[in-house]
Amino acid sequence: MINKILSRNNSVLWIIALASIIVPFFMPNRYFQDIIVMTFLWAGLACSWNLYSGYCNRLSIGHAAYLGIGAYSSTLLYINFGISPWIGMLVGGAISAVAALIIGGSTLRLKGTFFVLSTIAFAEILKVMTITSKDITEGALGVFIPYEPSFMNMIWASKIPYAFLTWIYMLVALFICVKMEKSKLGYSLIAVGENQEAAENLGVNSSRTMLIAFVMSAVLTSFGGTIYAQYIMFIEPTSVMSLMNSVNFILLAITGGMGTAFGPMVGSFILTPISNLLRGYLSSVSGLHTFVLGMILIVILLFRPDGILPQLKLFFNGLIKKSKVRKGV
Amino acid sequence: MEQILQVFISGIFSGGIYALVSVGLALIFGIIGLVNFAHGEFLMLSMYFAYWMYNIIGLDPYQSMLINLAIMAIIGYLTYKIVMERVLEANHSIQIILTLALSMVLQNLALMLWKADYRSIRIDMTTDTTYVGFLTLSTPRIVAFVIAIGASVLLYLFLQKTYTGAAMRAVAQNGKAAQLMGINLKRTYGLAFTIGISLVGLAGLLLSPIYPAFPLVGSNFSTLAFIVVVIGGLTSIPGSIMGGLLIGVVESFAGYFAGPAYQQAAYFLLFILVLIFKPNGLFGKS
Repeated sequence: MINKILSRNNSVLWIIALASIIVPFFMPNRYFQDIIVMTFLWAGLACSWNLYSGYCNRLSIGHAAYLGIGAYSSTLLYINFGISPWIGMLVGGAISAVAALIIGGSTLRLKGTFFVLSTIAFAEILKVMTITSKDITEGALGVFIPYEPSFMNMIWASKIPYAFLTWIYMLVALFICVKMEKSKLGYSLIAVGENQEAAENLGVNSSRTMLIAFVMSAVLTSFGGTIYAQYIMFIEPTSVMSLMNSVNFILLAITGGMGTAFGPMVGSFILTPISNLLRGYLSSVSGLHTFVLGMILIVILLFRPDGILPQLKLFFNGLIKKSKVRKGV
Repeated sequence: MEQILQVFISGIFSGGIYALVSVGLALIFGIIGLVNFAHGEFLMLSMYFAYWMYNIIGLDPYQSMLINLAIMAIIGYLTYKIVMERVLEANHSIQIILTLALSMVLQNLALMLWKADYRSIRIDMTTDTTYVGFLTLSTPRIVAFVIAIGASVLLYLFLQKTYTGAAMRAVAQNGKAAQLMGINLKRTYGLAFTIGISLVGLAGLLLSPIYPAFPLVGSNFSTLAFIVVVIGGLTSIPGSIMGGLLIGVVESFAGYFAGPAYQQAAYFLLFILVLIFKPNGLFGKS
């Protein structure tokens, strides 16, 4: 039933995704534009996470590692050799692909909890390595990106180009998810997620399927990492590769709906502004915004474990039914 | 040589606490099949309780032990009843994310209520040292080690020798079959969760004279406990005890030879190696 509803009416969600780019133009100031940029960016990131963990139903709580690889690769190339972050983004993607191949190759076969823990462990190891190799990464001090606005440097004075960049990033991630859902890879991945043995018996090469999706997810996340670094213009291991960042991927995807193409976007559209506004307006109470996010997550898990998207789709279905003559559910 | 021995012994002593934290986690995982990512946050709560007991009422952690155990047991039971019981049947991922969310909530609740300040308990014993031959040992660490190992062994005996313990093991083996034999499944789960949380609470209490309490203190111990439990074979209590001691020693040596920055990396590396080459744990049955 739910699946039937989910497979319909992506058109409304596509319209929302495409139309969302007009929002930053109506924002009164840079503060609100910043929230929009972060919303797009996190929508894309959560979508990338969802590509493996959501469809395959195996949690990665270490995606901050790929975010970090993307951020550090482009930034270090740019700072040290003046290589444009656009190229750095591709290099970061390639490094992430190799890392995901090695990590995925050795841990994807692990079952349940073991896999989850191994993702945390890799993210932590990478964070410690980044902190300790001071000669390359400046260690815990972090790296500043000098402010030299130009298209080649992926740095702009206004927030609007960033909004476009993150919006395109989000659309690309969405497009890949939607395409994958209807491809052989997508079907295999969902089958493996539901029941690995059964899928294997039906001839699905589960380890290959998982590895491909895992690498795709890591590369997309890494692209987001580069954009993140170019936007914030300061990266530091403990904040970029924190467990909290890794959890944020999950938080957004779960709230919207794990394993659905548009779920992570819906999650980010709802939660990223809430989180930023809470942080902005109630900053005197430290910890409040994370507390609220945690409570939202608990409530969603207990009462709507499929996320908000199914509800939203039912709502859209109702609207469409009213406007059209007949459309059976 | 003397130094090496000193490093080894200090590793063993921290390992005792790690063992106690992990034993509770292994119990909850073994019997309920629930991965509790908020485990460290209960340790944090217990450390704060010990701190307030000392600062407001004037009971040092050893005097407030029973009160603290009772409070933690109640918190554990309520957490089980309000949150955990609802997801017993749910998907594995949902359970993991739920405990992660619980950990976010508890951490930030502590941050909101008590701020990010480090709060440490200064009792006379905090700085006491005991000399054994050429070894210098901190007295609260010895006490913590002895009580931690004692409690872990007691738990093991409880599971092996008592009726309730046998019922728990039956539930761990096959919940449905145990239920058919007349064991109350939900009550057994509740008991296991309560005991697990009480044990991690005890660990927090024992840590409080050694280690300051702050909102994020639990997160390090959470990941550490997970590593210990995996190395120990996931559900085995003796395995967790051995795993705790091993991690203590590894951490201590890594800190001594490579520097404190590498302590975490060392046990994470050990963890990955164990996962890849011996996924049933170093001390687990294959």
